[in-house]
Amino acid sequence: MISMADVSWTYAASAAPSLVGIDLDIVPGEVVGLCGASGSGKSSLLRLMNGLVPHFHEGTLSGTVTVAGLDVASTPLEQLGRRTGTVLQHPRRQFFTSTVVDEVSFALENFGIEPADIQDRAVQTMRQVGVLHLAEAPLAALSGGQQQRVAIAAALAHQPQLLLLDEPSSNLSHDVLASLRQVLERLAGDGVTIVVSEHRLHYLAGLLDRVIVLGSGHVGDEWSGAEFAGLPDNALVSRGLRGTPPPPRRLEPVAAIGASVEQGRPPTPAEVVTGLHLRGVRCRLRGRTVLSVEEALLPRGAVTAVRGPNGAGKTTLARVVIGLQRHTGTISLDGEVLSRLQRQRLSAIVMQDVQRQLFTDSVRAEMELAARGRSEQMGREDQTLPAQLAAFDLSELVEQHPLALSGGQQQRLVVAATQYSGARVVVFDEPSSGVDRRHLRSITAAIRRCATPETVVLLISHDEDLLHLAADRQLDLVAHPPDKE
Amino acid sequence: MLTPAMAPASAVSAPVRTASWRQTDPRTSIVLLLATSIAVMAPGGELVLPAAVLLGLLLAVADSSWRRLLVLAAAVGVLATLAHLLPLWVAHPLVQVVGVAAAFMLRFAAIIGVAQHLLATATPGTVTTALRAARVPRVVTVPLAVMLRFIPVVVAETLAVVDAMRLHGLTGWRAMVRHPILSIERFTVPVIAATLRVGDDLTAAALLRGLGSHTRPTSRTPAQLGWPDLLWVVVAATLSVLSGTVVGGAR
Repeated sequence: MISMADVSWTYAASAAPSLVGIDLDIVPGEVVGLCGASGSGKSSLLRLMNGLVPHFHEGTLSGTVTVAGLDVASTPLEQLGRRTGTVLQHPRRQFFTSTVVDEVSFALENFGIEPADIQDRAVQTMRQVGVLHLAEAPLAALSGGQQQRVAIAAALAHQPQLLLLDEPSSNLSHDVLASLRQVLERLAGDGVTIVVSEHRLHYLAGLLDRVIVLGSGHVGDEWSGAEFAGLPDNALVSRGLRGTPPPPRRLEPVAAIGASVEQGRPPTPAEVVTGLHLRGVRCRLRGRTVLSVEEALLPRGAVTAVRGPNGAGKTTLARVVIGLQRHTGTISLDGEVLSRLQRQRLSAIVMQDVQRQLFTDSVRAEMELAARGRSEQMGREDQTLPAQLAAFDLSELVEQHPLALSGGQQQRLVVAATQYSGARVVVFDEPSSGVDRRHLRSITAAIRRCATPETVVLLISHDEDLLHLAADRQLDLVAHPPDKE
Repeated sequence: MLTPAMAPASAVSAPVRTASWRQTDPRTSIVLLLATSIAVMAPGGELVLPAAVLLGLLLAVADSSWRRLLVLAAAVGVLATLAHLLPLWVAHPLVQVVGVAAAFMLRFAAIIGVAQHLLATATPGTVTTALRAARVPRVVTVPLAVMLRFIPVVVAETLAVVDAMRLHGLTGWRAMVRHPILSIERFTVPVIAATLRVGDDLTAAALLRGLGSHTRPTSRTPAQLGWPDLLWVVVAATLSVLSGTVVGGAR
């Protein structure tokens, strides 16, 4: 199905090659897992398999790549697209239409399939992937897990021989991972060749025929699925790979009650002055209640994991807490009721896409901007800034433009600036999405550093590895809160 | 989140558009927009300006977009007052300047009112289908479809950047007045960086699924013009004639 001989690839904007001397053969029907540290070349290898390299991304390619009998370098992208289906890391970013059935039909229409056949094949694919009941649903109304399945259906409708998935598990909750596995199992049973690039491969145990480890653009270790499953954890650690995650750890729940919250207890009068106290907080979006918290106490000096299935309102809660989302009810910090504007001034967030929050022209300026306006920061900047930069391995980059940094460096900068800002309420929104084991540890350390005795830290994540390492308490949100009202 | 309940294949609607007076084919929406823009911006455009405004209001009603209806009505009311009534009450050079500017903006408001109907009802898919049916070349349909798909991306990324700016205290009027260039830079740079990144993914996914391919594309739901399209063309023409007669007669 795929054959690569001595393949090297260098992006036009990069001095160093991303892939070096790759020799690889994947047979039809095989299910292959690609793993390796961040920046090891996994995404580039997938792009080579679907033709985005060299047809969409500019650079220098050497060696030969054959996919489904076609020479990738000399075959138009359209022809390669007919034989491959690709699911990107963020399904929402690849949707081109507005409803599920339109999205699944998109490739069929572009490839000139007869209208009568389009309907049949779209229905068949939606049934195969388990999204037929959502056919007429608007894509924007789907949960993360549902979007992932629709993206797979959209990639499969034109019946490609090869399915490529880039980090499909990032941002998916534990229960949704199980359904993703079921879908892939069904496809593998139908003879589809599948290549999955992943940091977390545990949910595919027993399904993978082979696991390939990439390191600095080279093919490193190769194991059969059975060999990979039997590897000790230290073998994975030494390669920067994630292992089997610890079983979900039951942390001490915070005091909380309400329709959106798993059954708990209200905070005591003594507790309400020890953190952020939510009272009668409700939020409606597009005419429906998405969050309803009667009372909750998010404590200072601890990292509170906000957990719950996709669509339970975790991000909405975070936006309410930091003052970005309108709501009813009151929120107080240490007993003092704060308006939305006051909370905005006291809060910081590390977004999933950190490029949205880089505003200045140097790392130093970004740090100084973060500390600006916080009266408690005044007078200590000069003394603590170098240490802060060093703690996040940014000392050498102090005069660099933030947008010239790598993704990992940008994320470290935003986390460093967040901590430096002295914000009293800090939210981390899926900070470990698509990161390897080594970076997971540095993110964990950063989150822990933010949890000073004066700071309320919320951590939204589906990553059990991260929650295990970083969280102290948990707030469980439940799905469909309006049904309980 | 939508509830997962298995449904039979018949749950997928047959690919036939149900005619309703509210629905216009994207081709009709584009024609209405182009005709409005040309008529309102051409010399003598003030004759058909009331018709263009009324058309925008009626389209807002058709789309059940009550907020759009109110905003458009309010904007037109304020601009018309500044342009035509205020100069009658206050004879000051500054008022005259404001009146001229408001009269110009009034024309844009009328066009935006009609454009909003296109943006609210047309999706990249329906526009591509409709234009393909009209045998419009691919070099026009593909960029138009990409543009329509990209507008919500830009809006979403802009809102996210504004959120981040709020938390940094960068959205206040004081900062914008004191450092306008810096404020614009701090807004535009992250918006451009974030939208380019999303745009890359979107383009790559669309190309791999054949957008812009050399094969003649087909459509699951073939586009068809119907009586609602004729109705809206007649409404627009009638309003224009009435407006021209009334405004022209009043002069």
